[in-house]
Amino acid sequence: MSETRPTLEGSLGRLEAIVHALERDDLELEEALRLFEEGISHLRSAQGILKVAELRIERLIEERGEAYVEPVTDPGEL
Amino acid sequence: MNGDLFGEGHGRSPARRAPERAGLVTDRAKPLTVTGVNALARGLLESSYPPLWVAGEVTGWKRTPSTGHCYFTLKDRTALLRCVMFRDDALRLPAMPEEGMQVRVQGTLTLYEQRGDFQLKVRVVEAEGTGGLYRIAFERLRGKLEAEGLLASARKRALPRFPGTVGVITSPIGAALHDILTVLERRAPWTRVLFSPAKVQGEGAAADIARAIRLFSRTNEADVLIVGRGGGSVEDLWAFNEEVVARAIASSPIPVVSAVGHEVDVTIADLVADARAATPSAAAECVVPDPGAIEGLLERAEYRLVSGLRRTVERPQRRLDVQVARMETAMTRRLGQRQSRMAAIDGRLESAMGRLLRRREDRLASLAGRLEALSPLAALRRGYAVPLAEDGTLLRSHRDFETGSSFRLRIADGSVDCSVEGVRPEEQE
Repeated sequence: MSETRPTLEGSLGRLEAIVHALERDDLELEEALRLFEEGISHLRSAQGILKVAELRIERLIEERGEAYVEPVTDPGEL
Repeated sequence: MNGDLFGEGHGRSPARRAPERAGLVTDRAKPLTVTGVNALARGLLESSYPPLWVAGEVTGWKRTPSTGHCYFTLKDRTALLRCVMFRDDALRLPAMPEEGMQVRVQGTLTLYEQRGDFQLKVRVVEAEGTGGLYRIAFERLRGKLEAEGLLASARKRALPRFPGTVGVITSPIGAALHDILTVLERRAPWTRVLFSPAKVQGEGAAADIARAIRLFSRTNEADVLIVGRGGGSVEDLWAFNEEVVARAIASSPIPVVSAVGHEVDVTIADLVADARAATPSAAAECVVPDPGAIEGLLERAEYRLVSGLRRTVERPQRRLDVQVARMETAMTRRLGQRQSRMAAIDGRLESAMGRLLRRREDRLASLAGRLEALSPLAALRRGYAVPLAEDGTLLRSHRDFETGSSFRLRIADGSVDCSVEGVRPEEQE
């Protein structure tokens, strides 16, 4: 559903790969700058995700063999 | 035979000859049918006593595949008692009793009319000893799954470190769901919880749990699954010991954390799952990272990004000054743009970078010395090129170039004659 949104796993995974790449000794300057920029953007996106303060709750149900995801607005109703 | 039972004078007492129940009277002229007698005897037996608990040894347990009814005999030293357990009752048994097993059964006396067999209609069978039939069923299934390799530790998958979506399968009404949500809310409010309700105890619970697991498998909507419930009796937790649940977990493409009951309860689901948590709260704890750990990770990543870039920048000797200045600009720009809520980290980072920058001055002196020793060809081989004027002076700034003028580009294995088509100064901060 939300495949295009950056995920924490995705951002942090890429960030770690970039950090490792940037610590190699044979990097071209342009490449290093590009990686640095990209790393910073993943860092910001991870920080953005972590800022979300409210748990999003949804329900996965099955009706006549079909799967549906529906939002749960009031956790008390669960 | 008829005469013996119903003729005059041969019975042991008149009362037996002519039972008073239901006002039954028989005589030679109007004998009962065999069917009639058996119906009579059955009625008598069934109304004789409330359900009885009987202890004995099981022998000859048989289940008829077509009907699902089970037949067996209970015995002690001196007597045998035929027993029947009908399908619906037998289905509730976690396992069939073994030959010779000491059991306690509860049932009512009855008669199987077609055969005239006196028997006990059994509703409940309990095996003696710890766990009884539950223990047997557990060990049997464990042995079977183990033989198939489904319990091997090599099968256990690592849980995702930062799950975007946590799938939860449990009862909508138990405390387990509340506990899980509370922990996730506190520890990782950035996650999305996808809850799929399932019946976790009683008839049909195992099938419902397995269905919910397969629903997640099919939709692939979660990064990790918590399957569980709060504590209860062996019977309450039994669904998590059933094969259908074990197989659903084993075949789930999404890693599964089981969380059944209290610390002491180990279920088959726990053994098959990729990770076992002692309680639902503990399961929630283990699927999301510690908030402090992520912040530390981000902090270290930022530091390493900066120092990694810095190392690369410092390497080539000729453009050292320009590049350090650029790096400095980049870092200050980055620091300026930061709007992190993590003020503490900011402070630490800034002072770390401040230290870095101060140290740069000292380092540059020694670096410059070391770099002099290296051939500039090393830099050229890495792909750097050096622009030179006709007279061989180094062209360092955009001001050294004029549109239309020509210059020489020194590369690793020769040089290239170039002409300037345009000049683009870098914007100043």
